Amino acid sequence: MSPPVVAADRVSKWYGQVIGLNDVTVAIPPGVSGLLGPNGAGKSTLLKLVTGQLKPNQGSVRVLGEPIWGNPGAYRRIGYCPDHDAFYERMTGRDFLTALLGLSGFEGARAAGAAERALDTVGLAAAADRRIGGYSKGMRQRIKLAQAIAHDPQLLVLDEPLAGLDPLGRRRMIDVIRAWGRDGRSVVVSSHVLHEIELLTSNILLLHDGRILAEGNVHQIRDLIDEHPHTVRIAADDPRRLARHLLDWPHVVALRLQEADVIAQTDRPDAFYTGLTALAAGDEAGAIGGVTSPDDNLQAVFSYLVER
Amino acid sequence: MADPHAAPAFGTAALRVFELGLGQMLWSRRSVFMALVAGAPVLIAALLRALAALPGFDGEAGALARPAGLDGPGVFGLMIWSFYLRFTVPVLGVFYGAALLADEVEDRTITYLFTRPVPRGAVLAGKYLAYLVCTAVIVLPSVMLVYFLVVPLAGGSIGRNFPALLLDLGLIGAGLAVYGAVFALVGARFRRPLLTGLVFVFGWEPVVVVLPGYMKYLSVAYYLQGLAPHAMPRGDALDVLQALLTSVQTPLAAGTNVAALAFIWAAALAAAVRVAGRREYVLGQ
Repeated sequence: MSPPVVAADRVSKWYGQVIGLNDVTVAIPPGVSGLLGPNGAGKSTLLKLVTGQLKPNQGSVRVLGEPIWGNPGAYRRIGYCPDHDAFYERMTGRDFLTALLGLSGFEGARAAGAAERALDTVGLAAAADRRIGGYSKGMRQRIKLAQAIAHDPQLLVLDEPLAGLDPLGRRRMIDVIRAWGRDGRSVVVSSHVLHEIELLTSNILLLHDGRILAEGNVHQIRDLIDEHPHTVRIAADDPRRLARHLLDWPHVVALRLQEADVIAQTDRPDAFYTGLTALAAGDEAGAIGGVTSPDDNLQAVFSYLVER
Repeated sequence: MADPHAAPAFGTAALRVFELGLGQMLWSRRSVFMALVAGAPVLIAALLRALAALPGFDGEAGALARPAGLDGPGVFGLMIWSFYLRFTVPVLGVFYGAALLADEVEDRTITYLFTRPVPRGAVLAGKYLAYLVCTAVIVLPSVMLVYFLVVPLAGGSIGRNFPALLLDLGLIGAGLAVYGAVFALVGARFRRPLLTGLVFVFGWEPVVVVLPGYMKYLSVAYYLQGLAPHAMPRGDALDVLQALLTSVQTPLAAGTNVAALAFIWAAALAAAVRVAGRREYVLGQ
């Protein structure tokens, strides 16, 4: 059996009086693994511990066989895509990547080549010389992914990489992450949406209130989730037109308009997202913007699991 | 053969952070504000120059209006001490030095730097280098302009006073370096570094440099004052002003002042690098 890429041993992390992680022991195997939990479950805390940004109050974290806190030499084998939307806004995408590659030990032509490849991979080559401040939400997500993969790390750590992306952007991002996993490298990706994780891997960790609730195959949890409708919030240029289309779909169980958004509930997220991507690619429902999934429905499932 | 994927050494990493940080720092709102602060003495100098152009300024009436001994180089020396060494330089040190990492933490861009295979101390060192260049770009042109506007007043010679100008520029550079290092340490160590820095500059230093005893040795201003190349102008009003701004103690030898400043600089910067390397930075949600 391959050694785990991430091994956390009785790790606790707290912020003052607030517990972020509580006595977590977990071994994440090579390949693509999903970290699933509602907001505040401790996903970001775990990922920050894995990337050496935070120091555990108790326990230890080893990544790719090495202790990670205070060991910057190990960081060159890790790529991290944070959840927050923060950038050096005046820099161009290319300069941003080249500067960060310089900090990963790449110089001159090697840095330029690696930046170009990463920009190609995420589909930003044409916008490489534009300032990041002028990028759309989707482009900003993609440049974040590009800086994580540019130095060709062994382990990719992605914190909510699909949040707020439009359907086509999600599709592209999912393809990049899947390809990365197929190449034999490891990915740990977090989300509060089971459907997103399911598209990437069947190996998941369920995190709730700072504890690992379950780990293993996605199918069992999927059966439980299906009992609860999945909520999707879609930003659209013409929400009424989009809503008219969605009303005809058999797997949409509820629908309402809120400001410029359509909020839909579906009992078959797979079919819903596939249909939405097709709708976004065409023009019949108008332009479709960011798609988000409030975690209320997932929270209900987690509460149910905790009570069991 | 060298490992092509080797992490950069401390110095190389610091230089790369410097390259990344300088542009951000130069075009920040803080720099615009600080350029205005550094521009204020230029405006005052221009006003003095305009007054000097009025009829009678160089005559007897003008002489009566001027405090005794207040020629162009004297005014310049007073401005260097009061506007630059005691105000602009420490303020730049506080506002930039204390924010070297705090800005990146607040903007959450620190994540990109702290997840690279470089020591965190190198990130601080690189940002400190960017601070030095940025503040020099802001303050040194201002000093030059003031020099050319003020020194010729009342018959002062630009050429004859030029060596003193070079000393002034060196002293301001030293002040920026030392204050920046001190406040980089404060910024790396404390959660509210700006307040601590302002209390040090406007509360602690002005008091201790004029008090008898040894407290003045715990300041930067005392050592900078000992190196000021200008003989302060004399006059009733100026004596009072000078008493408020300078130490009443016997000054130390120049070499002692230089050694003290070098020690403060090295110790503060080394401590700041060490603290940054060990501290955990938790980004707000």
